Amino acid sequence: MRKVRRSAVLVAFAASSAMVLAACSGSDSSTEETAAETATEEAVVVEETAEEAPAEASGEALRVTYIPKNLGNPYFDAIVKGFQEAAPGLNMTVEVVAPAQAGATDQIPFIDAAIQQQVNAIAISPNDADALCPSLKRAMDAGITVLTVNGDTAPDCREASITPVDFSQLGKYLVDLTAQVTGGKGEWAFLSATSTAPDQNAWLKGADEYIASGASPAGLTLVDTVYGDDAPDKSATEAQALLTKYPNLAAINAPTTVGIAAAAQVLSQSPKKGKVQVTGLGTPNQMREFVKDGTVQKFALWDPALQGTIAAHLIAGLQAGTISAGEEVKFEVPGVGERIMAGKDRIIIAGPPQEFDASNIDNFDF
Amino acid sequence: MNQSVAQQELEVVSTPASARLSRVGVYLPSIIILIAAVIYGSISSPYFLDFSSLLVNTGRYVEIGLLALALTVVIINGDIDLSVASNLAVSAATMGLLAQSGVPIQIAALAALGVGLGLGAINAAFIVGLGLPSLVVTLATLALYRGLAQIMLGDSAVTDYPEEFIGADQASLLGETLRVPFPLVLFIGFALLFGFLLSRTNFGLACYLTGSNQQAARFSGIKTDRTRATAFLLCGLMAGTAAIMLTSRLGSTLSNVGLGLELLAITVVVLGGTDIFGGRGTILGTVIALFAVMAVRESLAISNVNGQVQDAVVGVILIAAIVVPLAVSRFRERRTLKKLR
Repeated sequence: MRKVRRSAVLVAFAASSAMVLAACSGSDSSTEETAAETATEEAVVVEETAEEAPAEASGEALRVTYIPKNLGNPYFDAIVKGFQEAAPGLNMTVEVVAPAQAGATDQIPFIDAAIQQQVNAIAISPNDADALCPSLKRAMDAGITVLTVNGDTAPDCREASITPVDFSQLGKYLVDLTAQVTGGKGEWAFLSATSTAPDQNAWLKGADEYIASGASPAGLTLVDTVYGDDAPDKSATEAQALLTKYPNLAAINAPTTVGIAAAAQVLSQSPKKGKVQVTGLGTPNQMREFVKDGTVQKFALWDPALQGTIAAHLIAGLQAGTISAGEEVKFEVPGVGERIMAGKDRIIIAGPPQEFDASNIDNFDF
Repeated sequence: MNQSVAQQELEVVSTPASARLSRVGVYLPSIIILIAAVIYGSISSPYFLDFSSLLVNTGRYVEIGLLALALTVVIINGDIDLSVASNLAVSAATMGLLAQSGVPIQIAALAALGVGLGLGAINAAFIVGLGLPSLVVTLATLALYRGLAQIMLGDSAVTDYPEEFIGADQASLLGETLRVPFPLVLFIGFALLFGFLLSRTNFGLACYLTGSNQQAARFSGIKTDRTRATAFLLCGLMAGTAAIMLTSRLGSTLSNVGLGLELLAITVVVLGGTDIFGGRGTILGTVIALFAVMAVRESLAISNVNGQVQDAVVGVILIAAIVVPLAVSRFRERRTLKKLR
């Protein structure tokens, strides 16, 4: 008997300390929530004194759950920032929850929990295009607005999808970006990821088609395409080989965040620094030092925060009934502009590529 | 004097009252965790005690539970099967490829059961037939079966399942008001079956004896080989069953389906009081532990606790529930021995 009682006490103690642990870690988000709630309350008060409070703003705050692929990723933190900056003005609270791993099914418990919490909307950056569908459909059946952000599922599992940039035009854009940094003339080469990466190949094909059409800047010659396999060392080796092989090379364009950083690293320690331009797609945090030391003039990506901003406004509009999801439906995002749910798949392009150079790179943190 | 000490020892081991008490003690950690998690969940979120949502959410845990039932038998035998989740992936892949090529879903599902059973038989052949340690064999087949699933499916997902099959796992029995989901009913059915097997049949007795002392059991005429092989076959069959449930729930199959599920299932078995070294354990313990783990996970998820923290909390609870009672009983054992001396 004594044995049972003693172990019971110990277990109860351990279980309760675990609960306390959980409560502590949860407190972050709850303070954020309180802050957001205070902010919305203030907004409502202001509107009431102006006696022009719109019906939807005076009601209960919209409860939105955003589920990124995983946590602690600056890229998704930027999307969260876009959400949270827009939320107070829209009478909205945003909870951000994510699994520890980015496995195909790891987001399902969080979708199920959001359904159980009867939230107004779920925004998700899905880890898998198919496995989440049954859960997301169940959410929509429960009357929850479902959006996919920076990644997509089958179109019938969400109301609309927000994609960071128009990927079909990215190949053409990369050629034009090379023209910008080289003054429109000289030899250049692509440093891609793996030769089998579907997105990379689509962009390279787009670039080839643009060059073949004759509409691209005439002074540029694409001399080679090499593959760094998205490994820093292999990418650096390939960049070094390009410098040796083409003495007149004017630019290396790496449309991969690993490749561009590796190429910039090679150039920053090379006598050809400044003579050979490095450009392509990279993140500001990785490229900041190379922009500051003059190795890199200009590169691009997109602003992930914009997707969060658009998602927040779209959710508010869909919930208020001022926007209804449908083919080619246009809607206005204050401070951003008009966006369109393109095609029968209702895909919203967040914006044009975002270019980064010495003048603006410090405004971005991802 | 000597005789009385022996008698005393015998009493400690075999008195029905103390045996019953220690059996309840085995369930105590998971019962306490279950209650604590339910209390925590209902305090931290007004949405936690939504019975119909909780019932629907059992679907995710039932798959772990099915594997855990069979693993309970394997572990009582003194063996381990690490390959269950990989077996599940091959079974699901088989089912997916058959469904994709137009085979009726019922036949594809039967094939999944067959493949599950077959892979279980391969484990049994190596372990019982060749006398190799189950830990090593199933560690190898864990990788082998997963690799097989990857070869079968590549990077692509099978999604062409008939509409009526997808989410068939959400079909509710017992009418619209109660809405008891089919997977839960299936799990309870299997739990009763396994419980009966272990506690009311000669096979069950053979399992406990094999796990307590394999050689002694063999010398007393227990067919230990057949007992152990049967357990691995049951494991394969449950992997096939879980594959069907999982596929119906997700409506798609990827080669990495169920990755890591074997660890969750073993966690449930051990939390339920089954001795990892064999000879002791019950199906009831496994069932209670499954719902305890579910209560913890669900109460944390509904409180918007992130994945990393959830994992850490489950880890702390496991340590508390398994290591602490173990340490206490070791301490007691040592003290009893000292007294006897």
